[in-house]
Amino acid sequence: MLTKEFIGLIADASSLSKKDAEHLLATSNAIIRENLMAGKAIQLQGMGVLEIKERKERVIVHPKTGERMVSPGKKQLVFRPMANMKEVLKKA
Amino acid sequence: MAQKLSWTELRRALAVRAGVSEKTANAFLTALSSQLTEALKRDKQVKINGLGIFKLQAVAPRKSVNVTTGEQIIIEGYNKVTFSPEAGVKEMVESKGERTTAKGEKGKEKREEPVDPLQKLGAQAEEIVDILEDLGQSPKKRPAKSKKKEKLAEQPKEPEIPEVPEVPEKPAEPEKPAEPVKPAEPEKPKKKKKEHHFLRDVLICVTLLLILLFGGYFFFRSQLGNWIEHLLQAQPPIETVDPAVVPDTPAVIEETETEVKETEAAEPEETPTAEMAEPVYEGWITTEPMHKASRLAWMSKRYYGSKVYWPYLYDANKDRLANPNMIEVGTPIRVPKLSAVQLDTTNAQTRSTLERLKKQALER
Repeated sequence: MLTKEFIGLIADASSLSKKDAEHLLATSNAIIRENLMAGKAIQLQGMGVLEIKERKERVIVHPKTGERMVSPGKKQLVFRPMANMKEVLKKA
Repeated sequence: MAQKLSWTELRRALAVRAGVSEKTANAFLTALSSQLTEALKRDKQVKINGLGIFKLQAVAPRKSVNVTTGEQIIIEGYNKVTFSPEAGVKEMVESKGERTTAKGEKGKEKREEPVDPLQKLGAQAEEIVDILEDLGQSPKKRPAKSKKKEKLAEQPKEPEIPEVPEVPEKPAEPEKPAEPVKPAEPEKPKKKKKEHHFLRDVLICVTLLLILLFGGYFFFRSQLGNWIEHLLQAQPPIETVDPAVVPDTPAVIEETETEVKETEAAEPEETPTAEMAEPVYEGWITTEPMHKASRLAWMSKRYYGSKVYWPYLYDANKDRLANPNMIEVGTPIRVPKLSAVQLDTTNAQTRSTLERLKKQALER
């Protein structure tokens, strides 16, 4: 589903105009991004948590040459769905 | 990441930023969360611009075993929610990661600073010096038999300095004690650096030194005594028993000479044959370029029927081979014709020649 369709769904469910919904979605995304950058996890009620996780550096082996290298650690944005959402979607 | 942006905080921020009432913001957000679930149910995938894609991923059913009973069970398939951030967001997060790691490093440094290891080391060093002085005094009182012991007492205080005079003090000591003493020296500074179990190490060092010194002292006293006795005994006889001694030595020399001759006689037989074997090949069977995955030993097996003759191959190509184990691909290898004697492994000479060639090859 594309963003436009999703906005349509939100607009229907919240009795907002599509334009408003689009605007609100964009703003909330901006807020989420800013807070993520500030080192905060985002609690999305009914959905889950968006947070930045650290992946540690590790030794990797090139499968062909057998060369050993250190893959540098990095930060990743991960989404942890809430138990509620998980359950609902398990049998979807 | 301990901090969390709560739902209410998000709602308020959204209301302020978008210029709407908190109520509408709330309506929007609740609609967002409920519709996300709905949309995932319907389409299995929801793209949200400016954030990423939520996907519903199917996990296939799989067999498993009940750990306690060993029963086979089937874990049913299910769907799980995955999220992959948009490219821009991903980059942003990664760049943020760099910054945070930098911060983390700074934090670590700060943590280390308050410990002030230098000060601690300094304090410990002072304590150790005190203890060492105590230790140093006690042996002085107890034995005080020889100068060496006094030195020992001093040693712990300044481990490096007193040991230097030791060596000249015992000039008669050739190398045996001097060598073991020296290794003890470098150990001490190391231990100082470590500061772990320093006292114990010092004690061990001191006892070791004591043992060494005593051992060396007695050893050399006896040795010196023997030597002096020898000298004393030897000097007078030289005048008297000269004739007796003189014939003796030549006899010995003769013996050794004969021995040498014998060995030489044995060797020359080998060496000439070896020399013969080295240069005198009856000719060349062929010249084969070294190809990948080939070995001298394998070539030897192909041409002569056994791997053991590879040293001949090496010998015949000495001029172009450095290491028999690392031959460059494409190097032309001359394959010499070998005489029946050269191929006879039951022949002792041939065997020794092969051995020698092998040694030569491997020593290169």
